[in-house]
Amino acid sequence: MSSQRIFHVARRVIAQLAADPRTIALILIVPIVVLTVAGILIRAETTAITVGIIQQDSGADAGFGIGFVNLGERLTASMSTVSDQVTIVTLTPESADEALQRADVDAVITFPPEFTQTVMDDHAIHLNVAYEGSNPMAAQFLQGIVMRAAVETLAGLSVITAQAIPEITIDAAYLYGGADFDNLDYLAPPFIGLFVFLFVFILTSVSFLRERTTGTLERLQTTPISRLELVIGYMLGFSLFALAQSLIILGYTIFVLEVHYAGSLLVVFLVELLLALMAVNLGIFFSTFARSEFQVVQFIPLVVVTQILLSGAFWAISAMPAWLQPVAWLMPLTHANQALRDVMIKGFDLVQVAPYVLALGGFAVLFVLLSARTIRHQAGG
Amino acid sequence: MTDALTVNAVQKHFKGVHALRGLSLQVERGITYGLLGPNGAGKTTLIRTILGLTVPDSGEVLALGVRMPDKAVLQRIGYMPQSTALYDDLTVHQNVAFFAALSGVTDPARVDQAITLVSLQNRAQSRVRELSGGMRQRCSLACALVHEPELILLDEPTVGIDPQLRVQFWDHFRRLNQAGVTLIVSSHVMDEAERCDKLGFVREGTLLAEGSASELRQRAGTPTLEEAFLHFAENGASAERIA
Ligand SMILES: Nc1ncnc2c1ncn2[C@@H]1O[C@H](COP(=O)(O)OP(=O)(O)OP(=O)(O)O)[C@@H](O)[C@H]1O
Ligand SMILES: [Mg+2]
Repeated sequence: MSSQRIFHVARRVIAQLAADPRTIALILIVPIVVLTVAGILIRAETTAITVGIIQQDSGADAGFGIGFVNLGERLTASMSTVSDQVTIVTLTPESADEALQRADVDAVITFPPEFTQTVMDDHAIHLNVAYEGSNPMAAQFLQGIVMRAAVETLAGLSVITAQAIPEITIDAAYLYGGADFDNLDYLAPPFIGLFVFLFVFILTSVSFLRERTTGTLERLQTTPISRLELVIGYMLGFSLFALAQSLIILGYTIFVLEVHYAGSLLVVFLVELLLALMAVNLGIFFSTFARSEFQVVQFIPLVVVTQILLSGAFWAISAMPAWLQPVAWLMPLTHANQALRDVMIKGFDLVQVAPYVLALGGFAVLFVLLSARTIRHQAGG
Repeated sequence: MTDALTVNAVQKHFKGVHALRGLSLQVERGITYGLLGPNGAGKTTLIRTILGLTVPDSGEVLALGVRMPDKAVLQRIGYMPQSTALYDDLTVHQNVAFFAALSGVTDPARVDQAITLVSLQNRAQSRVRELSGGMRQRCSLACALVHEPELILLDEPTVGIDPQLRVQFWDHFRRLNQAGVTLIVSSHVMDEAERCDKLGFVREGTLLAEGSASELRQRAGTPTLEEAFLHFAENGASAERIA
């Protein structure tokens, strides 16, 4: 293994792409265009909603130095800060049904008298929400907001009392299970991953295919460079562009589209980078099966679209038929999506998403080795 | 010193095509050996087998005394494929420098020398995509020569090259021979074959006859190489090799 030769390949790959400004522009601009359109469409689905609150919570003494807390009130307040699309109106049990029927409110949330006390006792929040229901999008949206409000309220409390009381736990299935707050917040993490994956995959598979159709690959095989050195050189050369693209996509999503993120951007970026490396190697691997650029394009529905569908980006893996779920976990993209969502939505740190990160790295290594193998087998041709 | 090249009873089948039928060949060092034969004779397949790009069904190849395929010895071998295998987006200089670097060339002057050798010094910064067909061919040749190999395999190197440059190339090949470098050149241009020290007539994956141009003409009793080739082709089975 010669790092010199790997370096020369990487540098050549970079020089080649640098000589093609149109492709570079496409790499960088297209994701922004698509993200903007998708962002507008996804956001537009979430219309302003009105929530009726029946506030009967009498609060409780949380003890341990924080004293008296009214979780019902805190949650209600938190809901209006979480989203400016929500209008809160206070209802009485008597007026609630009528308000719902007349669609004055999209949903009614009841905080019963012992709400705070029950939460303290059970260490779980059970919310009683009645949806108007004619707009499932709004219902879904509200559900997300309630979730987030609950998380923020409890997180706020546990920060104050970090030492004093054990963390309040919430029924996990209820917290995350299909909880879409702003739909874009929910979809943005996989979107970020999809772009990097798609572009890097197409770019590498076409470049590597060209290497074969023009005969330069054969020429390389008559130099001392090994297949593994070649594939790693490719990976490094393309990572530079993947890096630039990841940065732009991430920056645009966070700062222009203002998608929320809870965890560290550094971890998000790391996952992106690993995903890109994996995509480079997958691209090389699949290009070894293609005879023409047309065939590479045919691989996109197979490799990219199928993977996107199965990756849990739009359809939760837990909602898939049982036999399909293991298949979904065999998709490298699934691990990237999961890691990106956990970090961006749930605020997980690197240690918590380590299994996904390791899986991605494992796929990247696997495809390097597989590519090196398939190149050799074809050399025999 | 071992021979530059030994090919021993090499067989290669492709789907339905018997490209090499137990072909054997011996090339001593410091000469230019011409592989002559019609389209589909098996010249390219033979060259690729010598390089280890094609794995023969049976038989063996020793290049510079080393049994192929062998990565390490490739550094001492130069190869110019029949199709100009270059990076179109890169400049002449970038292409030559890239292949030079992979073969372990550290002296940047060697890259310039190779480019000058093929008279592309004025186009060194042009992208390959912008070159004429013959210029591409020359760039491809520069890539094959840049690391100063001891054994050079050129698959139809002079196709599309103008007469003046062709003369220049052959002069250079001569100089390489004098330095002990061995060249193996495939061609179907007979007048070019005259310039080779030794010729091998290849047809349907076998060596019909072998020898210098004048020897072959004499043995066939024909005034031209073309006619000599046809003579050996017709009497294929009975043609014995001249060692
Ligand atoms: N990869 C391959 N797959 C199938 N058949 C092949 C392959 N490579 C060569 N052949 C066949 O082997 C035979 C010899 O081909 P080869 O390319 O060696 O001929 P050649 O002497 O170089 O011809 P030319 O002068 O046209 O370059 C031909 O019949 C060709 O069709
Ligand atoms: Mg040929």
